[in-house]
Amino acid sequence: MIDLSVTLGRLTLQNPVLVASGTFGYAKEMAGLVDFQKLGGIVPKTVTQSPRAGNPPPRTVETASGLLNAIGLDNDGLEHFLEQYLPYLRSLPTAVIGNIAGKTEEEWVTMAARVAEAGNGLAGLELNLSCPNVSGGLDFATNPAMTERIVRRCREVCPTLPLIAKLTPNVTSIAEIASAAAAGGADAVTCVNTFLGMAINWRHRRPILGNGLGGLSGPAIKPLALRCVWQVARLKTIPVIAVGGIATIDDAMEFLVAGASAVQVGTANFYDPIASVRIVDALPAALTQLGAGSVRDVVGTLAWPT
Amino acid sequence: MLQLTATILENVPVAERTFRIRLDCPALARAIRPGQFVMLRLPGTHDPLLGRPFALYDTVLDTQGQPIAVDVVYLVVGKMTGKLSQYQAGQSLTIWGPLGQPFRDVGTSSCVTCVAGGIGQTPFLAYARQLLGQRGYGGDPAKRSVEQVRLYYGVRSAAFAAGVGDFRAAGVAVHLASDDGSLGTRGFVTELLESHGPIGPLAGCGPEPMLHRLAAIAEQWGVPCQVSLETPMACGVGACFSCVTKVKTAHGDWDYRRVCVDGPVFDAAQLVRE
Ligand SMILES: Cc1cc2nc3c(=O)[nH]c(=O)nc-3n(C[C@H](O)[C@H](O)[C@H](O)COP(=O)(O)OP(=O)(O)OC[C@H]3O[C@@H](n4cnc5c(N)ncnc54)[C@H](O)[C@@H]3O)c2cc1C
Ligand SMILES: Cc1cc2nc3c(=O)[nH]c(=O)nc-3n(C[C@H](O)[C@H](O)[C@H](O)COP(=O)(O)O)c2cc1C
Ligand code: FES
Repeated sequence: MIDLSVTLGRLTLQNPVLVASGTFGYAKEMAGLVDFQKLGGIVPKTVTQSPRAGNPPPRTVETASGLLNAIGLDNDGLEHFLEQYLPYLRSLPTAVIGNIAGKTEEEWVTMAARVAEAGNGLAGLELNLSCPNVSGGLDFATNPAMTERIVRRCREVCPTLPLIAKLTPNVTSIAEIASAAAAGGADAVTCVNTFLGMAINWRHRRPILGNGLGGLSGPAIKPLALRCVWQVARLKTIPVIAVGGIATIDDAMEFLVAGASAVQVGTANFYDPIASVRIVDALPAALTQLGAGSVRDVVGTLAWPT
Repeated sequence: MLQLTATILENVPVAERTFRIRLDCPALARAIRPGQFVMLRLPGTHDPLLGRPFALYDTVLDTQGQPIAVDVVYLVVGKMTGKLSQYQAGQSLTIWGPLGQPFRDVGTSSCVTCVAGGIGQTPFLAYARQLLGQRGYGGDPAKRSVEQVRLYYGVRSAAFAAGVGDFRAAGVAVHLASDDGSLGTRGFVTELLESHGPIGPLAGCGPEPMLHRLAAIAEQWGVPCQVSLETPMACGVGACFSCVTKVKTAHGDWDYRRVCVDGPVFDAAQLVRE
């Protein structure tokens, strides 16, 4: 019997395969398609303190093996989430990890405190420190001191809830930011959010996205994400949840070997809604191929060429 | 909602750069209703990566009258549709659906008028057959609710007119317009509609300027009007929030709504025209 469960700080999951924030709606959208109980966890779409209309369309455009998006955190706000979405999410037979984004330090603390108070049923909280599409462009996770501070202040108001810092790859050293999140008291880091990019219609001499810039995701970014995950994981300061172009069992295994303790499936949910379930189903056989009895046995086992 | 691998039964040209593809998917065919759509994806490739939305053209019945397949009529405009046109019978596609909201019940009336531009005729064949009581969809028995269905259909030129014969065979009164005058009257289909005047509720599908004009006409005539939007989509199921359109809210304001779950069919009066 292969042990699929994984532990990341205070968080334990029945298996290491989650679905990523912003790519699975609030789960209800995927109800007929995905067998939730198979998943290691679900991260619903980011919520902010106040409702946000989001960016003007077009909000997505397909690029070579990838997707460029600038949704702009379209959501109805934290209270609406707690009232309208959480009761359903809480009833699902898998771990649900909330995902919030604050505009200011105070907003982060207020939201985290509110989740600690009213978010029962959540297995953890992912702090989206890294959305490239928020107006104002405040990208907390481009700055180590800011990252540490936000995580620490959220930790103060959420002393027991597993906290995960979601990082942006749009930095010089993601390892440095991850270490800052660890110092702030995060249980894990999620690497990575989307890579800042753009698409242009040269005939109109205009960007294609309504927001001008967007974040790139999908198979196109997998090698970049692998590099980020490896750079963070080899420090062994904090467990890593990998995300970026994961769509198959091979992708998932590559990230585990690179040092991720768990993986999230993002864009693949759009073009292959049951990709996550297929990865879970294929995991025991893949682990067996490596002679591993548990997921832990393969995490970070990359042999560097000497 | 179902996700399946469907075998292509036919993929045949029906007009300039326009094809009708028939997909073997009985369970989906039994469930889908006029106005709803499916996502189609070319399996085994990342180029294109995402599925694309296509309206139900019609279901195909076996000799016992049971739905066994789904027809989609598509215009080649880019990467996915270009590749799709090369697919042969016997190959397969990934399909998920039924998706979105069907055309709403307009009660009984003597006539419903459908107005289409470009490739916007596609949702109206099944809708006309439903209204005329020729077919039931989604497990409902066939039931006639209108005397007459009219189709106003505008195309670039005669070569692009697709499915006119299907509409006529279904007993729809077809009125044609073209940009170059090679088919029907020359000019906008909405002008042709206006010259004939109002009879009953409207339904529209086509380019945005046409839908805006249609919404204005409906307002002027004081008739209800449903429109089906062709907004680009990434997931088709409500998960990505990319397919949004501005919809009026109760407080005189607007909010972005997802076309794939709240639409693609909307009451034209609910949409913000910009
Ligand atoms: C609910 C719904 C039903 C639809 N039904 C049909 C149908 O029955 N038959 C049919 O032929 N098409 C239909 N469409 C449109 C169809 O989805 C697009 O034509 C298709 O996605 C194009 O894919 P592509 O890869 O060939 O083009 P791409 O390579 O993605 O795009 C080619 C060019 O077309 C533009 N484009 C792409 N999609 C759209 C769009 N939706 N509206 C305007 N411009 C666009 C792009 O900006 C680009 O310039 C429907 C769309 C929706 C939302
Ligand atoms: C359309 C879209 C919306 C997203 N929205 C969010 C979001 O609201 N919050 C968040 O933390 N990440 C969001 N992401 C980022 C994903 O969770 C993920 O980190 C990223 O897409 C890389 O993974 P992938 O290549 O598997 O998609 C979004 C991604 C996409 C494509
Ligand atoms: S296409 Fe993804 S939400 Fe509509």
